[in-house]
Amino acid sequence: MGKAIAVAVGAYEHAGRRGAAADYDVGLMLAFQKGKELAFQELVERNHARVIGLIYRFIGDAADAEDLAQEVFLRIYRARQTYKPTAKFSTWMFRITANVSLNALRSRANRRDDVSIDQMGDSGEGPRGIPDHECEMPDGHLHQAELQEKVQDAIQALPEKQQIAVVLNKYEGMSYADIARTIGCSTMAVKSLLARARDNLKDRLLLYIRTGRGRRKV
Amino acid sequence: MSPPVCHWVQSVLAAYLAGELKPSTADAVRRHLARCDECRKYATELEETWNLLDEAPLPPVRPGFTERMMARVVEEKELRALEARMRPNRILRQVAASVLGVAAGLLIGLALYSWTGQLREPKSPIEREVSRSITFLEDADLLDEIAVIEAIDRLTGSTDRASGA
Repeated sequence: MGKAIAVAVGAYEHAGRRGAAADYDVGLMLAFQKGKELAFQELVERNHARVIGLIYRFIGDAADAEDLAQEVFLRIYRARQTYKPTAKFSTWMFRITANVSLNALRSRANRRDDVSIDQMGDSGEGPRGIPDHECEMPDGHLHQAELQEKVQDAIQALPEKQQIAVVLNKYEGMSYADIARTIGCSTMAVKSLLARARDNLKDRLLLYIRTGRGRRKV
Repeated sequence: MSPPVCHWVQSVLAAYLAGELKPSTADAVRRHLARCDECRKYATELEETWNLLDEAPLPPVRPGFTERMMARVVEEKELRALEARMRPNRILRQVAASVLGVAAGLLIGLALYSWTGQLREPKSPIEREVSRSITFLEDADLLDEIAVIEAIDRLTGSTDRASGA
């Protein structure tokens, strides 16, 4: 890997780009573009856990998450000739990840359309399987595993764009501006998406807060 | 019903809690929260549900992902190489199909020509001369045969005459 690092840094300096100078992964991708397969291997090594985690947040299945992560890295592999370092590598990678995850979700739902983030409506209000949380009364002693399931269900029940925004903001710590670049919309739109998403999550999870779980200092 | 200012504050609370508001707007929200119980309760609930999302940890990643991924890349490269090897055959098939198409077109054209009749009548003297020459050439074999038959007849006749004498 050490050799790949040197190759990547060299390639990146050679490219003379300044916009994402701190983005080491961009350097690896450029090195890979120049034919250094080891650079791709290092990209996988550095990023696979984040990609798998992100997919898991979207689809809620660990085995499927790994398969789909392979699909994400294959798309990156195939895109080496056309890749341009115009943004942070993670923005580009998460965009691919979100598209692969959403397509998988839609395939599961027996929908045949291969729709990307760009093709979603502005509201991102894709129909999702929304659990009937109104009928579920927690008993005050909800097991940790059950609580995890409720939280995962609540995230997955969000409309698609809201779900992407929540996962990127909450679990990847991305700013609104970076989420906007990843989803391909304005920062104002992300602000609106997250406002509605947090409102929806509050409606679905409030009962579990009142049992004492999740109560922390505001 | 909440006053309009509460409605506005609640619409920007998520961004406020995420630290994504401009300082002046954030100050306005903060001042409102200090005096509005309803909005403060709303903000607390938003934050608590947001914190609840931490209760869904990620499952551990299975070791060896990079190795499995690189094995898949090798498969991908082999597939691409196979496709590249298949590509010339496809081109050859396309060329063969094109040649067959042209040949079929020529045959159809010839058939149509035969069906619709001969060439138009020659008009200019040169065309007529050429046409005559072509006709002569077309009949050349027949003329040769006639000449041979006449020669045989002559020879036969002379032989008969010689034997009769």
